[in-house]
Amino acid sequence: MKVTLAMKPAAKGFIPIEAESIVPKNFLSGTDLLVWRGNRELRLDEVFSVSVEGEADRAEGVEVVLSGETFRLKRVGEYMDGGKITVLGDIGMHCGNFMTAGTIEIHGNADGWLGREMAGGAIVCRGDVADYCASGYRGGRKGMKGGTVEVFGRAGDFLAENLADGTVIVHGDAGDMPGAEMRGGTLIVHGDCSRPAANMKGGSCYVYGTAREMIPTFKKIGPVQHDGRTLIQFAGDLANRGKGNLFVKNYEYLD
Amino acid sequence: MTELLVKNACVIDPLRGINGDVMDIAIRDGKIVEEVSDAAEVVDARGMLTMPGGIDSHTHICGTKVNFGRYMSPEDMRAGRTPRRGPMHATSGYSVPTTYGNSYRYSVMGYTTLLEGAMAPLEARHTHEEFTYTPLQDTMANTLFDGNWAIMEAIRDGDIKRVAAIIAWTLSAVKGFGVKLTNPGGTEAWQWGKNVSCIRDPVPYFEVTPAEIIRSVVEANELLHLPHSVHLHCNNLGTPGNYTCTLGSMGLIPDLNPKRQTLYATHVQYHAYGGSGWKDFCSKSEPIANFVSMRPQIVIDMGQVMFGRTTTMTADGPMEFNLYRLHHDKWSNHDVELETGSGIIPVVYRRKNLVNSIMWSIGLELALLTKSPWQCLLTTDNPNGAPFVKYPEIIALLMSKRYRDAEFATVHPDTGSRVPLPAIERELDWNEIAVMTRAGAARALGIQDLGKGHLAPGADADIAIYPLKIDEVDPSAEYQKVIDGFSQTEYTIKRGRVVARRGECLVHGSNATFWVRPKVPENYDMSKDPDFIEKFERYYTVRMSNYPVQEEYLSRNRCIETEADL
Amino acid sequence: MIVKDAVCPFCGCLCDDIEVEVEGDRVVAVTNACELGTTKFMGEKRLKNPIQRVGDEWKDITYDEAIRYAADMLLSAERPLLYGWSGTHGEAQCVGVHMAELIHGVIDNTSSVCHGPSILAIQEVGHPGCTLGVVKNRADLVIYWGSNPIDAHPRHLSRYTRYAEGFFLDNAFRDRKVIVVDVRKTETANIADEFVQVRPGGDYAILSALRAIVQGKTETIPRTVAGVTREQLIRVANLCKSAKFGAVYFGLGLTMTPGKYKNIRNAIELVSELNRHTKFTISAMRGHYNVYGSNEVNTWMTGYPFGIDFSRGIAFYNPGETTAVDILARKECDAALIVGSDPAAHFPRRCLEHLAEIPIVQLDPYPNATTAFCNVQIPVAVTGIDAEGTAYRMDGVPIRTRRVLWSDYLSDEEVLSRMYALMQEAQQP
Repeated sequence: MKVTLAMKPAAKGFIPIEAESIVPKNFLSGTDLLVWRGNRELRLDEVFSVSVEGEADRAEGVEVVLSGETFRLKRVGEYMDGGKITVLGDIGMHCGNFMTAGTIEIHGNADGWLGREMAGGAIVCRGDVADYCASGYRGGRKGMKGGTVEVFGRAGDFLAENLADGTVIVHGDAGDMPGAEMRGGTLIVHGDCSRPAANMKGGSCYVYGTAREMIPTFKKIGPVQHDGRTLIQFAGDLANRGKGNLFVKNYEYLD
Repeated sequence: MTELLVKNACVIDPLRGINGDVMDIAIRDGKIVEEVSDAAEVVDARGMLTMPGGIDSHTHICGTKVNFGRYMSPEDMRAGRTPRRGPMHATSGYSVPTTYGNSYRYSVMGYTTLLEGAMAPLEARHTHEEFTYTPLQDTMANTLFDGNWAIMEAIRDGDIKRVAAIIAWTLSAVKGFGVKLTNPGGTEAWQWGKNVSCIRDPVPYFEVTPAEIIRSVVEANELLHLPHSVHLHCNNLGTPGNYTCTLGSMGLIPDLNPKRQTLYATHVQYHAYGGSGWKDFCSKSEPIANFVSMRPQIVIDMGQVMFGRTTTMTADGPMEFNLYRLHHDKWSNHDVELETGSGIIPVVYRRKNLVNSIMWSIGLELALLTKSPWQCLLTTDNPNGAPFVKYPEIIALLMSKRYRDAEFATVHPDTGSRVPLPAIERELDWNEIAVMTRAGAARALGIQDLGKGHLAPGADADIAIYPLKIDEVDPSAEYQKVIDGFSQTEYTIKRGRVVARRGECLVHGSNATFWVRPKVPENYDMSKDPDFIEKFERYYTVRMSNYPVQEEYLSRNRCIETEADL
Repeated sequence: MIVKDAVCPFCGCLCDDIEVEVEGDRVVAVTNACELGTTKFMGEKRLKNPIQRVGDEWKDITYDEAIRYAADMLLSAERPLLYGWSGTHGEAQCVGVHMAELIHGVIDNTSSVCHGPSILAIQEVGHPGCTLGVVKNRADLVIYWGSNPIDAHPRHLSRYTRYAEGFFLDNAFRDRKVIVVDVRKTETANIADEFVQVRPGGDYAILSALRAIVQGKTETIPRTVAGVTREQLIRVANLCKSAKFGAVYFGLGLTMTPGKYKNIRNAIELVSELNRHTKFTISAMRGHYNVYGSNEVNTWMTGYPFGIDFSRGIAFYNPGETTAVDILARKECDAALIVGSDPAAHFPRRCLEHLAEIPIVQLDPYPNATTAFCNVQIPVAVTGIDAEGTAYRMDGVPIRTRRVLWSDYLSDEEVLSRMYALMQEAQQP
C-alpha cells in the first residue's frame, strides 16, 4: 500500500503541525487520522491531499510518501514499528522518535531531534540534519538505544548525545560535541567536527577528518588501522572515569 | 447551609471502636453531625467500606527539596502527564508529581490530610505556597531543627527552656506544625562535608551529641505541649548495622505524654539494618519491632520500599551523598544556613538486587511484627521508598500471606536467609489497616481532637468510601480486589463535599493548613531576645523581620494555640 | 515615611535590608541598595494608563478594554506565547500558568536566554548547592567563573563572599580566597587572589582538565589548556582540595559560551568530584530578581522550570523547541503576551522580525523597547514598590517583597486574574 500525503497550503503556514499519527501501521485502518496545528485538532485531509494506492495487511507493506512544505511537520514516524516513510522534501523536528523498526528516508534536510531515543530500524537523511540528531531526552541517561541513522549531509551540534547503542554515520562534517556523554554504540563522522566524545563513558567514536578542540582528558594510545585508514586511538574520557574509544584522523587542542 | 447524608455505609472508625457496622453519616457545613434534614443530598454507600479520610503522617509533597526533585527530573515528569480536564488542572510526574498531581492522586485514594515530612524554616514560605496548590488535602509541615545553631548552643548551655522558646518562636514564625529532627547534628556536620556516626558522636564546633539534641528537643517539645511529638529521622540512615543506633535513639525516650507517643520515629525500615557491610546485610526488624512493642512512648512508620523507579529526597544530606557515590547518578544537595540541609537522587529498587529485596522485606516485617497497629503506621516515606500510589499494594501485602509469598518468590533468591518475612503468618485485618492509614496517624499527630481521623459528631467530614464489600472479599486470597478497591474510592468527601468520584476529582477545593503557636512568657519571647536577634541579623542572610511567613500564605488558616510550661 | 528591610526587586541577590524613604507617592531616598537597586526604587517615568496602537498613533484605553483585548487575542490564537515572568511576583506567575493551560499556549520565562543551560545541566547531573548564608559563614574559597558580580550583582561580594563577615572565619577578608576565571580581566578579577584567564570557548576543556587533576590523573593533561598552563591548573586544583569549604558561582560567561549547558554540567561534575575530598558547592548567579521564582512556580505547577508547551493539553518541555527565542526565530507562534521582561531589548533580530508580525500585549509599568512591537500595553504596579508578592532569591530562598508606597495601578496578578476570568467565561460550554 502506498499512501501519498501532499501538504496543502495553509493560512497560518508558519504554525507547526504535530503529526505523530503518521506512522505506516495507522494507515492499515484507513486515513481517518488526526493531527494538530498548534492547539487545534484537524483531520488529516484538512492538512494533506491524501491518496491511497493498493492494500496491505501489515505495517511492513505500507509506504507513506510525504511531499510539499513538510519542514514544519513534527513527530512524523514517532513510535514507528514497521513499514516505510519517504519524505520528498525537508522534515520537521522529532522525526522517527522512539522508532523500533522500519525505514524512514528523507530526501531533503531534517530538523532537530531526528531519531531521538530511537531503539531500532533505520533512518536515512540525504540532506543535512540539525542539532540533537540521534540523541536522548532532557534529563534522561540514555539516548539512542539501537538501529541506524545515516546522514549524507552535515550534522548540527550534539549529534548522538548520550548514545547508548546502535550506529550513527554522518558523511559530512558534524558540529560541536558529537557523541557527548556517549556510553555505547558507534558514531562515525566522515568529515570534521569539534570536541568529539566529550565526557564519554563507553562505545566507539570515529572521526575521519579533523577533531578540533580535542578534549584534553583523553589518553593517547597510538595509531591503528581502521577500514583502510590510519587513525589515532584515544581512551577516555578520563575526567569521567570513562572507558570509551575515540579514533581520529587528525586532531588539534585548544592550547 | 449544606447537608449531606451518607447512607448504608459499612463503617470502620477505630478511634470510636466501630468495626464494620452499617450506618448513616450525617454532615452539615463540613462537619459530622447527629442528623440532617430531609433536604440533605444523599450519597448511597450501599455497604461499601467507609472510613475517615486517609492521613499520611509522613510524606514529601511540597517545598524546596520536593520541587528540586521535579526541577531536575524532566524524564520523571513526562511519565505521568494528564491534560486539564473539568475542574482538574494538568498534571505531570510519576515519583515527584506536580502539586496538583499529588493532590488528585491522593484524593482518588481517599486521603484528605497530609503531613509534609520536612520543611526548612528559612524556606517555609515555599512549602506554604505549594500547600496552596494542593487543594484537596489539609496540610501541615514538620519543621526541621536538626542543625539549628541557636538550639545547639542552648543545649550546650544546658538551657532546655531556651530550646523550647526557640522552637516556639520558629514554629510560630514559619507556620510549622511539628518538630522534626533529621539526622540530628549530622546535617550541620555535613555543611563541612562530614557526618556524625551515631548518637554519641559530637557535632563539630557545637560539641553537642545527637543524643543530647534528641533528648533536649523531646523535653522542650513536651514543655510546649505541642500536639505532635518530636518526629525523628534517626542518625545513620541506610547503613548496615544501623539498628543498634536506632535502638539507642529510641532508648533515650521517656514516656512523657499520656495522650500520645513521646517520639515518632519515621521510615524505620531504613534504620533496621543488620550486618557489618553490604555483604552480610540483613534484616533487624525483629529487635526493633519488639522494642517498640514494649514501649508505648514510641510510634514508628514503615518507610516501605516497593520495587521500581523513584526519587529519594531527604534533609539528610550526607546520606544522599553516600547514595550518589553508590549509584553515580544525578545528585543534588542543598544546605540551609544555620538550620539544616537536603539531598536528592533518583533510584531504582530492583527485585534482582539482594539489598533492595531485603529492604522491601524489612518494611513489611516491621508492620507485621509490631504488635499494635497504633504503633506502626503505613508509609513509604513518599517518594523515598516508593511513590504513594503504591499504598494499595502495601495494604494488600499486609493483609495476605499468599500475596507476600507470591511476591517473595520473585525477589533475590538469597533474601530468605537474611530476613524473617517468610516465617511470618500474620495477616492484618481491615480495622488494623484503618488504624495504620488514618486513626493511628491522627492520634500520633495529635489531631484527633481537631476532628481528624474519626467520624464522631463534630469531626471534620473527611470520608473515604471504597468500592469494597468487606463481608464478601477475602483479602487473604483476593488481594487483587483489595489493591483495586484501595486504589480508587467510590467517593472521597472532604469537608462535607464530594471531591473525588471513581478516579475523577470534581471540585477545585481549598485546603486548610494546620500550624502551631505556643504561647510563651514574655522573657522567653525570642523576638525580643537581644542575643538571639543579634546572632540572627549577623549570620542569616535575610533580615529577621522578613523571615516570618505571613498569614497571606495560608489559604485556610487553622492555628493551634498551646500554653507552654516555661 | 521610612520603610525598613525593604526587598530590592532588581537582581537575584534579592537584598532585603533596604531602607526606603517615601514622601507621598514618591521614593525620595534609598539606603543600603547598590546603584542598580537605587535606580529601580527611584523609578522612571511610568505609563499612566493602558495604551493601544491605532495605525501609527497610541490611543489611551481603559483597563477593561485592554484586558478584554488581551483575552480575545489569546483565545483566538492557535499557538499563543506567554513570555517573560522574571520581573513579577510568584502569585502572578501562577495565574500565567493556569492561563497557558487553559488556552493551550506556550509559557516560557527569561531563563531561556540566561540560565536555561544551567537548568539543562542540572537535569543531567543534579546540583550540589546551598543557601548564600552557608557560603558567607563557612567558605574559605570562592570561585567566580564567567561572572562579574561587581557589574551585575554589586552586593554579592559584600553580603555573601569577599567582604562578608563569616561565623567560622576569624578574619573573613584574609582567610577567604577568591579565584576568578574569565576570558578577560574583569573588575572582579582585580580583587581576586588568583585569576585564571581562559581562551574564549575554552571553559569546557579547563573543567575537564581540572576534574582529571583532582582525580590525580595529571599526566595526560597537555602543557597548556585553552591558554592556561598545567601548573596553574594544578595550583587551582590544590587550592580547591585544600579548602575547608569551596563555593563556585558561575554566570553567563559559562552558560552562553560554546558548549553552553555542557560547560555547566562539567562544572557541576567537578564540584561533585571535589566533594569526595572536601565540601564544595556550586550556584548560578541568577539575573532578574524573580527569575528563579518563575522556575519554581512553573515546576510545581507543570513539572518543568521553563519552556512549557500546552498546545496538546499536557505539558511538553523541550528547550530548543518550546522556548521563546526558538519559537520566535522559527516564527511558530501567532500571538504573544509579554509580562515583566523586555524581549525586544535582548532577543536576536530574527525573533524581532516575527514579533513585528504578530499581535502582542505587554504588561509593564514602563515604556521599553518591546513597546514598539505592542498592540496594547498595560501598565502595572511594580512588585517591591507599589505591589507585594513572593520572589525567590538566586539560592531558592523565598522572600515576600514589601510594598513601600500605594498607587492606583493594578498589580500583575490582578490584571492577569481578570484576563483569566474572561477566558474561563469564554470557554464555558
